[in-house]
Amino acid sequence: MVEITLKGITKRFGNFLALDNINLKINDREFMALLGPSGSGKSTLLYTIAGIYRPTRGRIYFDDRDVTDIPPKDRNVGLVFQNWALYPHMTVFENIAFPLELRKVPRDEIERKVREVAKMLHIENLLHRYPWQLSGGQQQRVAIARALVKEPDVLLLDEPLSNLDTLLRLEVRAELKRLQKELGITAVYVTHDQAEALAMADRIAVIKEGKILQVGTPNEVYYKPKYKFVGWFLGNPPMNFVEAEVEGDYLRVYSSRIPVPSHYREIIEKLGIKEVILGFRPHDAQIVKGVGDGLLGEVYSFEPLGREQIVTISLDGVFIKVFAPEEESFTFGEKVTVEIREDRIILFDKEKEVALEYLYKD
Amino acid sequence: MKDIEIRSERFQWIVILALLLASLPLILGYTLLILSSFSKEMVTNLDLTSFHFTLENWLYLLQGKLAITGGIRVDIWRIVFNTLLVALGVALVVTLVSTMAGYSLSRIDFKGRKHMMILLLILHAFPGVALIVGVYLLYLLTVPQGQGLDVLRLYSFFYVILARAALEIPMSVWLMKGFFDTVPWEFEWSGIIDGASRIEVWWKIMLPLVKPGILAVALFAFLAGWQDIIYVRTFLIDQTLATFIEANIEAEYSHMPLIAAAGTLYLLPTIVFFIVAQEILLQSYSGGIKG
Ligand SMILES: Nc1ncnc2c1ncn2[C@@H]1O[C@H](COP(=O)(O)OP(=O)(O)O)[C@@H](O)[C@H]1O
Ligand SMILES: [Mg+2]
Repeated sequence: MVEITLKGITKRFGNFLALDNINLKINDREFMALLGPSGSGKSTLLYTIAGIYRPTRGRIYFDDRDVTDIPPKDRNVGLVFQNWALYPHMTVFENIAFPLELRKVPRDEIERKVREVAKMLHIENLLHRYPWQLSGGQQQRVAIARALVKEPDVLLLDEPLSNLDTLLRLEVRAELKRLQKELGITAVYVTHDQAEALAMADRIAVIKEGKILQVGTPNEVYYKPKYKFVGWFLGNPPMNFVEAEVEGDYLRVYSSRIPVPSHYREIIEKLGIKEVILGFRPHDAQIVKGVGDGLLGEVYSFEPLGREQIVTISLDGVFIKVFAPEEESFTFGEKVTVEIREDRIILFDKEKEVALEYLYKD
Repeated sequence: MKDIEIRSERFQWIVILALLLASLPLILGYTLLILSSFSKEMVTNLDLTSFHFTLENWLYLLQGKLAITGGIRVDIWRIVFNTLLVALGVALVVTLVSTMAGYSLSRIDFKGRKHMMILLLILHAFPGVALIVGVYLLYLLTVPQGQGLDVLRLYSFFYVILARAALEIPMSVWLMKGFFDTVPWEFEWSGIIDGASRIEVWWKIMLPLVKPGILAVALFAFLAGWQDIIYVRTFLIDQTLATFIEANIEAEYSHMPLIAAAGTLYLLPTIVFFIVAQEILLQSYSGGIKG
């Protein structure tokens, strides 16, 4: 149970900059997700926290203890690898017992602890099997059990669910979230799956190309993306982006005109900015048939999803996606107006792709 | 075993036939040798007219009677033991060195690693015969002076094992390095995080994962030691099967079918190895990682 502080962590592999000045505080008992596309440096950051990699620059603290130069085994972390790394020549029991054996824990205590953690993860009847005799989901539980058995201060997970099928993933997701809170363990969870991060984490750190773009609660990163990238990377379908020009109190979006959202009026005036990118989520707009007040376009396609449908609308050739209720029916090429919920609109700077309010603060 | 299950069968028999033809001289040679060892005369042609079954050759050989007439005797079991000693010694040294060196070359980032790997390849390219003068010189320099024959005999065993192993080591190290390379780093990291030292990781995690490699390296080294003639001939004071056959093949008293029996004995490990090895090597793979 520790609080992790990363101060100015930079990691280079030769000339390649894998982590670029990472500053992050992970609170005690917090479930922190590191979210980013493949190759963004998530695993590298996790391995740096674990002590497998030594940062090129920067310090790592567990509470007040500087652990930067402390070898992995003395950091008391549990790590679940993406490929689980179960030892194929050991049974499930031996796999889970391995960290305890290395610590020279007495035999009967090993026995007790292994059974305890196996029970917690519902694998107590698999203990005599070998990893290759288990399904993917069972192997994954063994990997988590092995990481937890030594009662680590920190649990580090590197895309632990990415090798499971979709249904199983949803099930384990809920269970893992619950487990983390019951154990009260500080957890860092690496994933490229935005839904996973939103569903499980207390806070999300979005990483791109070795930089942390934004840290916040799922709600904050979802509704208040600091960068266009964050808005695009979170949510399915992603946030819509259309180019807009400021014309006095209005925004011109291709052939349509909508008022500047009230929360941006002052900022735009101060910045004197002309060209922006308007972003909104597919569920933060509604489609009105015919020509009205909003963004004018025509229906390009529609995909029923059961409870709702995704409608793709062409705004003078630029596509946006908007959710519509299931009972509404559309025809291809139909003229419609998209009315966006004003308070949910985010405006980004066209060059820097940063939300205007952050540009204004800097 | 997995394979593409539906494929053209038209050319399959051609392939089998070609393989059979290619290995015919080898199979023929071995068959004649083995047949001869059970015959009163050497079997040198295919119509088998000269084949007259007898177990005499084997009985005499195992009793150490070298010639059918006369009383020339030799302790054949001692010779087999010597051969085994050299073979096992070479296998042990090669396995030990190559599992450690292979691991280091695969996993540890030390200075001169690249150069060492290239050097190993060059060393491997050197034929053992070409090195023998130098190796002999070293023998002369290191041989214990003024000791009894027993010490010298012991030392010659020690020396021939080391020298013969040294010839095998470059290739074996490369082979082991290749096997270690296939093990994902995560296995090693996992052990390190759980509190294992590098040696513990090597012993408890890595070695079991490269078992097929260890087996292959050990078997090849064993055969190399078992079959070697040049180094044994040059350095070993005692006889092994190879030098025994060589010494007797042209002796006037020698009975050729008996030498054939000795030859068969000499070939035995190779034959056993090729029957058993495929099985073992394939088997050890199926215990691997499953997704
Ligand atoms: N040991 C290494 N040597 C060189 N480059 C590496 C090494 N590990 C990772 N990288 C590079 O660093 C970047 C980030 O890798 P990684 O942290 O594994 O990404 P992620 O886990 O987010 O997919 C990648 O471009 C990768 O190629
Ligand atoms: Mg990764």
